[in-house]
Amino acid sequence: MKLRKAMAVVLSAAMAVSSAMVVSADEGPVTLTLWGAEEDQTLLGELVDEFKAAYPDQEFDISIGVESESTAKDTILTDPEAAADVFAFASDQIFDLVNAGALLNLEDFGEVLQMAGKTLDDVKAANVAGSVEAATVDGSLYAFPRAADNGYFLYYDSSVLSEDDIASWDSLLAAADAAGKKVGMTFASGWYNASFFYGAGFTTGLNEDGTTAIDWNGTSADGYTGVDVVKGMIGIASSPAFMAIADGDITNQIAGGQLCAVVSGTWDAIAAQEAFGDGYAATKLPTFTVGDTQVQQGSVAGYKFVGVNGFSENSGWAVLLAEFITNEASQQKFFDQRESGPSNNNVLASDAVSANLAMAALGKQAEFGVAQNVGGKFWDPSATFGEMIAQGNLSVDDDAAIQEALDTLVEGVTAPVE
Amino acid sequence: MASQKKGGAMSAVGGFFGAIGGFFKDFGVAFAKGDIFVKLSVLWMGAGYARRKQYIKALIMTALEAAIIAFTLTFAMQYVPKFGTLGTVVMERVFNMKTMKSEFNDYDNSFSILLFSLFSFVVWAGAFVIWMRNVVNVYRLQQKAEAGEHINTFREDMHSYIEEKFHITLLTLPVIGITVFTFIPILLLIFVAFTNYDQQHMPPSALFTWAGFSNFLSLFGGGLTTTFSYAFVRILGWTLVWAFFATFTTYIGGILLSVLLNSAKTRVPKLWRTLFIITIAVPQFVSLLLVRNFFSNGGIVNTICANIGLTGFLRDIGLVSTSYIPFLSAPGWAHVMIILINIWIGVPYQMLIATGVLMNLPSDQVESARVDGAKPFQIFKSITMPYMLFVTGPALVTDFVKNINNFNVIYLLTEGVYTTTNQAMANSQAKEVDLLVTWLFRLTQDYYNYKMASAIGIIVFIICAVFTLFAFNRMIGNGREEDYQ
Repeated sequence: MKLRKAMAVVLSAAMAVSSAMVVSADEGPVTLTLWGAEEDQTLLGELVDEFKAAYPDQEFDISIGVESESTAKDTILTDPEAAADVFAFASDQIFDLVNAGALLNLEDFGEVLQMAGKTLDDVKAANVAGSVEAATVDGSLYAFPRAADNGYFLYYDSSVLSEDDIASWDSLLAAADAAGKKVGMTFASGWYNASFFYGAGFTTGLNEDGTTAIDWNGTSADGYTGVDVVKGMIGIASSPAFMAIADGDITNQIAGGQLCAVVSGTWDAIAAQEAFGDGYAATKLPTFTVGDTQVQQGSVAGYKFVGVNGFSENSGWAVLLAEFITNEASQQKFFDQRESGPSNNNVLASDAVSANLAMAALGKQAEFGVAQNVGGKFWDPSATFGEMIAQGNLSVDDDAAIQEALDTLVEGVTAPVE
Repeated sequence: MASQKKGGAMSAVGGFFGAIGGFFKDFGVAFAKGDIFVKLSVLWMGAGYARRKQYIKALIMTALEAAIIAFTLTFAMQYVPKFGTLGTVVMERVFNMKTMKSEFNDYDNSFSILLFSLFSFVVWAGAFVIWMRNVVNVYRLQQKAEAGEHINTFREDMHSYIEEKFHITLLTLPVIGITVFTFIPILLLIFVAFTNYDQQHMPPSALFTWAGFSNFLSLFGGGLTTTFSYAFVRILGWTLVWAFFATFTTYIGGILLSVLLNSAKTRVPKLWRTLFIITIAVPQFVSLLLVRNFFSNGGIVNTICANIGLTGFLRDIGLVSTSYIPFLSAPGWAHVMIILINIWIGVPYQMLIATGVLMNLPSDQVESARVDGAKPFQIFKSITMPYMLFVTGPALVTDFVKNINNFNVIYLLTEGVYTTTNQAMANSQAKEVDLLVTWLFRLTQDYYNYKMASAIGIIVFIICAVFTLFAFNRMIGNGREEDYQ
């Protein structure tokens, strides 16, 4: 016991000495690494130069690396200690990143943000509520929202479909059938097929132990049953004018020319423009039939975030850099140069943004968008569930089989994390 | 015959343990009968050499001993003492506003502890062997000195490494390479299978620890997750079915094709052969991804089938229930398609090998058979095939093992196209068309479930090792050449 105390004294003395050394050795430049998407590299270079100019008293050595937002999690979790200090990532990765300690809790850095003349509440107020909600885990903000364009809505060909046709799935499919065209959507993905359940008031959530909470096999807050939602989905999938598209094959199918309407996001804007020509139009998703009522289809609102690595040594400056490349001026630049849909309220309200068809449709759908809080166990079971409906494995008359499939889905999604 | 071979295998194993026993006996004899310097060599590895005036060797051994002690004290001791728990200190971080830096405690990283402990064990095992050999060697020197024989100088010793001991010089580098790049990773894989290394226990921010046999229990159905054993049995079954069909269809197909091309009746055989070899010239992943797109639900093949009415016909007779033919997206269909596509990919390789072998087919046998009035099929059955099997047997075994781990074909053809409709499979992150190795890949890549992936990896390793041992023992055992004759 005595020995241990002595050790503790010696160790803390050593710590004090070494930390004193750190403070005195503080003269050199602050070294930071920043990861962003390949197509954003030029813009990030400009923003880093502006960042340096904004803090002239401090010397920086900032290097920029290429890492796509969609694969950031995979690379970072391989070795968080070696990953970049500041990195961009898609919002659905936030739980795994927080879980692995790869994101800093920004609530501890209020004091740092004052150097940028802001408080954390200013950041939260400047961006759309959904993006802040999606960047918040257990009540703490873990990342700065940078873009709000990771959601889906309806592209359609206005030379084939009228405004009335696109109001509901029933009229949409009927009109498409009459025109000999098809309406496409991905069913075999929990990111897309959750839209029906979210629309009917069902939820998903994340528990503290990392498992996923899901209520789709019961009755929603709006009073609809999961079975009725599934019946609505079967009704859509069994229409001859409906085309179930494999996840990741949407762009191909738009170019294929069979479609007159498709559920997709801003990344397919150019493909849709080319396919639909002058008829190119976009709007919110239609309503669908649940029981005997029409329910507005929901959606998943996805965002792009910039976060700071939990293992970053120069964390203070890293937080300031992350804040800088997500502030209003930077988001304006991202929209101007990269056509990236902003999450900042002021940029979002500008005329240029609302003139963009796809961006405007995304804005209309955003009202029904939900931040999808799910763990890793959600994806495979939910993709399988959507595929079962798309392939017609479930019969619309067999309530018991639908209920059983929903129960199995819930069992798989809520399984303990390994 | 079989028992004889088993006896051979047993004696080989016996010989192995005998050699180990002999090694320890040599050491015991050397230590007991050696003089004071041999005994001193146990503590100071250079002692025996110094006594026989081999000063450079003494210096080298002393330096080696010092290096191992230094390695142990400065490196191994950081990790090995924590090997029992795999670390206890969780990462903590404090932000220092003055320096704008995060300050970390001296936290443990379970993975580093496991990896570097294993590395230390391997180094120590090597050092232990050298230490024992050293005592035996200096005892031999003592015997030589007592008998008045010549004792090599350092230059003579060095020279022997490019003369009578040249094999040692040649093998040193490969052995080190295999140890570092193959042996230690396999050891690591084996140990991870007995831990709880998964998404909830991911270093560096969290620790993992030993978990006994629980991963194997859940794989074989005794654990909490029943779906894991459900998926494992089915995937193992498909893996074996696939390996069997993939190996034999391409093998037989390749031989038939080359016999056909070698036949005197075939015109412009060189043109045909070149055409088939072009499949090899295109990188496999390019052709596989293209084929995947051709056969996808909305792909070109489906469009053609729908236009010529094949899809409608198949719907009418009840073979498909969807508006497309699920070539690569429904069980059964996908299984057959994968094997067919693999024939197209794999046959040209086998054709090349078979062509080479057929050119060496003893023509006197074929001639005399023909003179005796044998039909072409009889010649093929009784002469060509046995000869082929005899020559390419070992390659067939390797092919089978390769196909068990044939990641490319399965993953590239089904990833992103195949979604299982079996909920029990989906609940354990598996698909009907997965091989053990692709399942393992997605468990680590998408779910960070390293412990289960390691357990599966060990099973794959055992299957491949046992199969290879048995097959090689049967095929390359002595006496096979006479069988053929």
